Amino acid sequence: MTVALEATGVTLRYGAVTAVDSVDISVAPGILHGVIGPNGAGKSSFMDALSGRRKLSAGTVKLGGQDITKRSVTWRRRNGMARSFQKTSVFGAMTVRTQLDMVARKTGEDDLDGIVDALSLRPYLDEVCSSIAYGHQRRVDIAMALLGRPQVVLLDEPGAGLSVEESAQMFDHIRALCTDRDVAVVLVEHDVEGVFRVCDEITVLNLGAVLASGTPADVRAHPEVIKAYLGSEA
Amino acid sequence: MSTTAEQVPSEVPAADRSALLAPAPVQSGLDRRTVLRGLGIAVVILIVGLFVPDVISDETNMGIATDGVVLGILALSIGFLAHRSGLISLGHTAFYGASAYGLAIATTQWDWSPMQAIVFAVLGGTVLGLVIGAFVVRTPGVSFLVLTLAIGQALHQLVVQDSVRGTTGAYDGLAVTWGADDKVAGLGQSEIGNAASFWPLAWVSLVVVLVILWLVGRSRFGRVLEAIRENEERARFSGFNTYVPRLIAFTLSSAIASLAGALFALKASFVSPDTLSFVTAGDSLIAAIVGGFATLVGPLVGGVLYIYAQSELSDSGNLQLFTGIALVVAVVFLRGGVVGFVTDTGRKVRARVATTRKGAGR
Repeated sequence: MTVALEATGVTLRYGAVTAVDSVDISVAPGILHGVIGPNGAGKSSFMDALSGRRKLSAGTVKLGGQDITKRSVTWRRRNGMARSFQKTSVFGAMTVRTQLDMVARKTGEDDLDGIVDALSLRPYLDEVCSSIAYGHQRRVDIAMALLGRPQVVLLDEPGAGLSVEESAQMFDHIRALCTDRDVAVVLVEHDVEGVFRVCDEITVLNLGAVLASGTPADVRAHPEVIKAYLGSEA
Repeated sequence: MSTTAEQVPSEVPAADRSALLAPAPVQSGLDRRTVLRGLGIAVVILIVGLFVPDVISDETNMGIATDGVVLGILALSIGFLAHRSGLISLGHTAFYGASAYGLAIATTQWDWSPMQAIVFAVLGGTVLGLVIGAFVVRTPGVSFLVLTLAIGQALHQLVVQDSVRGTTGAYDGLAVTWGADDKVAGLGQSEIGNAASFWPLAWVSLVVVLVILWLVGRSRFGRVLEAIRENEERARFSGFNTYVPRLIAFTLSSAIASLAGALFALKASFVSPDTLSFVTAGDSLIAAIVGGFATLVGPLVGGVLYIYAQSELSDSGNLQLFTGIALVVAVVFLRGGVVGFVTDTGRKVRARVATTRKGAGR
C-alpha cells in the first residue's frame, strides 16, 4: 500500500516543555486516521508540526515519499497537503462563493460543486462568510482544505464548537469525502466517540507521546488506553 | 434563512447542480461587460470633468479644486493600501516628496524637459516604493506604521542637510524651472501655475488613477489582496504567496503617490521640505480616513475637503483643531468616513421608502 503521509520522530519543544515527543504516523490514501487524547496531550501541536505551522525540533515529515520537513506552508498547500483549523479560519469579509472560487482556482479544483454539495454549503454561497452560523463557517474552512484534491488533509478538531448533531453530521461528511476523494485524512479530535465511529485507524496521544495506535478495536482494547484515558467510559 | 443546510441540496436535481454554481458571476470578478461599463462611465466622468473650469469661474475655488485633486490622488494611494492590504502608511510622503524633488532636480539642476522629468520623478518614486516595500510589507500592523513613519522622516532629514544644499536647497526648497520652449500638456512654465489651465492635467491623472484602482480592486489579484488582508495565515494555508501581492500593492500605491508629488511640484513650481514632512503624511492619511477609504472615491473627497478647510480656516489658525475634530467625528460616528456615511444613509432611506410603499400598497 502506498503511503500519502509519513512522519517519523516528530518532536516539538517550547523551551523546556516537550509538547510533541517523537510521534510517528503513517496514513494511506482513503484512510481516515483519528488522533485523540486529553486536553494538553499535544494534539494541536502535533497538527501544527505536521502542517508546517511550527518548525519541528526533530523528526521528518514526508508527503508521498518526498521529505517536506523544511518546506513552507504555501509550498505544502500547492503540493498536496492542506489543513483546517480548530479555531475556524475563513475569509470573513468575503462571500462563501468568492472564497471557495478563489481557492478552487488556486488549487486547480475540478469539482467545486461536488465539495459544495458534499458539505451542504450551497444555500450559503452568496452570504458573507462572517455572517453565517459558526457550524457553517466550519464547513467552509473544511471545504477550503479539501479543494484541489490534496493527498493529505489535516483536520484540527472539526467538531469543536458544534452541537452534538452538527458534530455527528460533520464526521459523516468527512468520512464520505475521505473515501470518495481517496485522500489521507488526519483527524485530530476531542470527541472520542465520533472518532471511534468513523475512523479507520486511531492514534492516542498522552503528554505528547503515543500511548497506543491501531484500529479502533485494537485501541479500544488497549490496556494502557483503558487505564489512562478511556477508563471511565470503557 | 429558515431552510436548513440539509434540505436544500436534496431538492436540487443532480443534473442541474453544476449549472447552479456556474452562471452567477464571481462577486469580485471582472468580466468584459463590467470592464466596458466601467470604462464607459470613466470616459463620461473624464469629459464632464474637463468642463469644471467653465463652471467654477472663481480663481480661489478653482485653486481649491485643483489642489484638492492633487492631495486627493495622494490620499487615494494611501486609502488603496489601507483598504486592500490593511496597511496604514504614515510615510507616503517619502514617495510624494521624493517624486516632487526628483522633478525639481531634473528640471532645474539637470535641465531636463518637464515631460522627461515627470517620467523620471514617477519612476523614481515607484522604484523607491519597491525597495522600501520589500522591507516594510513583511511587518504588518503597528510596526508597519512606525517603519513607514521613520522612513518618511529620514528622507525629510536627508533633504534638509546642509551638505546637500546644492542639490535640494535644504530648508529653502527648490524652484522648478524649465526651458522657455518646453511645454507640459500644452502649458508653458508661466501658465502651469494657473489652476484653470492646470486642471485638465490633474483631472486626467485622477481619472486614470481611479480606473486603475477600480480595475485592480475588482480583479482576481484584488481578491487575493483582500484574502491576505482578511486572514493571512489562511491565505498561506490555501496556497497563496502572501508577500509578493502585498509588495505589488505597496509599489502601486507608491507609484500613485509619486504621481501626486510630480503634479504638486509642477503646479507649485516649487518644492520645499514640507512635501516630505510628517504633517503632510498625517494630513493625507487623515484625508483618506475622513473621506473613507472603504470606497473608491472616499479618499478623494477627503482630500478636497481638507484643501477646502485649509483655505477657509488657515487664516484663523484653527485648521489643525478642526482637522482633529473631523478625524474624531469620522472615526467615532461615521463608519466608512464621509462617503461611507452618505452611501449608508442613502441605502437606509431607500430601504425605508421601499417598506413604506409596500405598506401603503396593502
